[in-house]
Amino acid sequence: MSTGPGEQEAQTTGRSVVAFGDDVGGSRDLIGETLRSIAGIANVVLASDHRAGAPEPDAAAGAEAIVFDTLGVALVAREPSALAASISSAGAPGAAIVAVEPERVMHAIAVEDTVAAAQFADDDAFTWGLRATAVDASSATGRANRGAILDTGLDFKHPDFAERSVTARSFVAELSARDGQGHGTHCTGTACGSPAPPTGRRYGIAPEAEIFAGKGLDDTGAGTDESILAGIEWAITNGCRIISMSLGADIVSTAYETVGRRALAAGTLIVAAAGNNARRASGERGFVGVPANSPSIMAVAAVDADLRVADFSAGDNPVEGGQIDLAGAGGDVHSSWPLPQRNNTISGTSMATPHVAGIAAPWSQRADARGQALWDALMQGARSLDLPPADIGAGPVQAPD
Amino acid sequence: MRRDVTVTVADSHAGRLDDLVGRLTRAGMEVTQVLSTLGVITGSVDDAQLPALAVVPGVGAVEPQTRVQLPPPDADVQ
Repeated sequence: MSTGPGEQEAQTTGRSVVAFGDDVGGSRDLIGETLRSIAGIANVVLASDHRAGAPEPDAAAGAEAIVFDTLGVALVAREPSALAASISSAGAPGAAIVAVEPERVMHAIAVEDTVAAAQFADDDAFTWGLRATAVDASSATGRANRGAILDTGLDFKHPDFAERSVTARSFVAELSARDGQGHGTHCTGTACGSPAPPTGRRYGIAPEAEIFAGKGLDDTGAGTDESILAGIEWAITNGCRIISMSLGADIVSTAYETVGRRALAAGTLIVAAAGNNARRASGERGFVGVPANSPSIMAVAAVDADLRVADFSAGDNPVEGGQIDLAGAGGDVHSSWPLPQRNNTISGTSMATPHVAGIAAPWSQRADARGQALWDALMQGARSLDLPPADIGAGPVQAPD
Repeated sequence: MRRDVTVTVADSHAGRLDDLVGRLTRAGMEVTQVLSTLGVITGSVDDAQLPALAVVPGVGAVEPQTRVQLPPPDADVQ
């Protein structure tokens, strides 16, 4: 909301915005009393008296002042210069009112702020996904952040992870945490892989994050709540700030919503794949499945290298929490694969999810944010595209500078 | 038929899982995991006992366990 060149002529309404000092700002009674004593304003409406937190237009119309007491701000029906004169002649304590400014007319942010779709491609230095999410221009590494990938495990012998801090545990009976399938190694490569792989382009986002590899899916890629929930509990008790889950089923669940809420309260953000049940070319938008369809679990859609919604990427569904929250790179994603193959290029919301989880680590590192604050930072940092939020949420995730 | 279930503990009983495990066991559930941080208890129960489980004090929800299945590793879309 800066006033840039050409905006000096901003329209004003003739009313004043008054900011109160900390001693007064938190108390509705003190704000009301201050306004009465210094400006003779008696008809005061308190925003917090209204259920939604903002007074209804009708109730506000006749008021001389609307007090937003949780903000410590009031909108007063007096010219700023006249109000400032009253304050000064009343000799009001300096700490009670810290600023009087003209109310400006606000306009919705214009559509020009959204970025036109661009074309990306893998090049010698980076995958298209790291280019499209601004990881190529970010200096953050996710250092000292613990992130868990709950999947088919990890190929510990892979050169991408040989020098890394890896804590692993299997939640599948009679199997170690070794990845005998490939999916988990691919997702871990995207979220946490090397900053400079020995051959080829970089695909790893948070190369200094501490990896917690939880095997919740067996080597056929199958798993149950029993093992996945145990993996979530393990990640939270180990202080992981992020849990990446590239898995799901086409149902709705109370258990996962409660788990997501309790995880956020404990400072852990759960990121999950929206699902691949769309066939957009045939007119089927699909729907977000469990666990991503929980309000407190971040649902990740997939975009392709042209920043279009991937054909398979599920759209929102009508249940509470069934919306898409963010998008990640999910078409033709190059990453790690168990030896001897070493690398593989595959597509899916499973591949988009570790882009979001990986980028959450540098956001957490940069802002020291966790839980809901980390969720908010990711959402606010997303790249706005001219595509429906029902398909890509706030847009493709972006790394901090 | 025996069924694997996930029991979500009600917020009001979040700190008292031991008592709840006893009540669930008496109601016919075989408990396999108590996840105290999450407030979730997993296990199995006969279909006939499911209604009794749902009304045990402290139970927020009883759901059949979800099974997830990834596509095969050579599938284009994962």
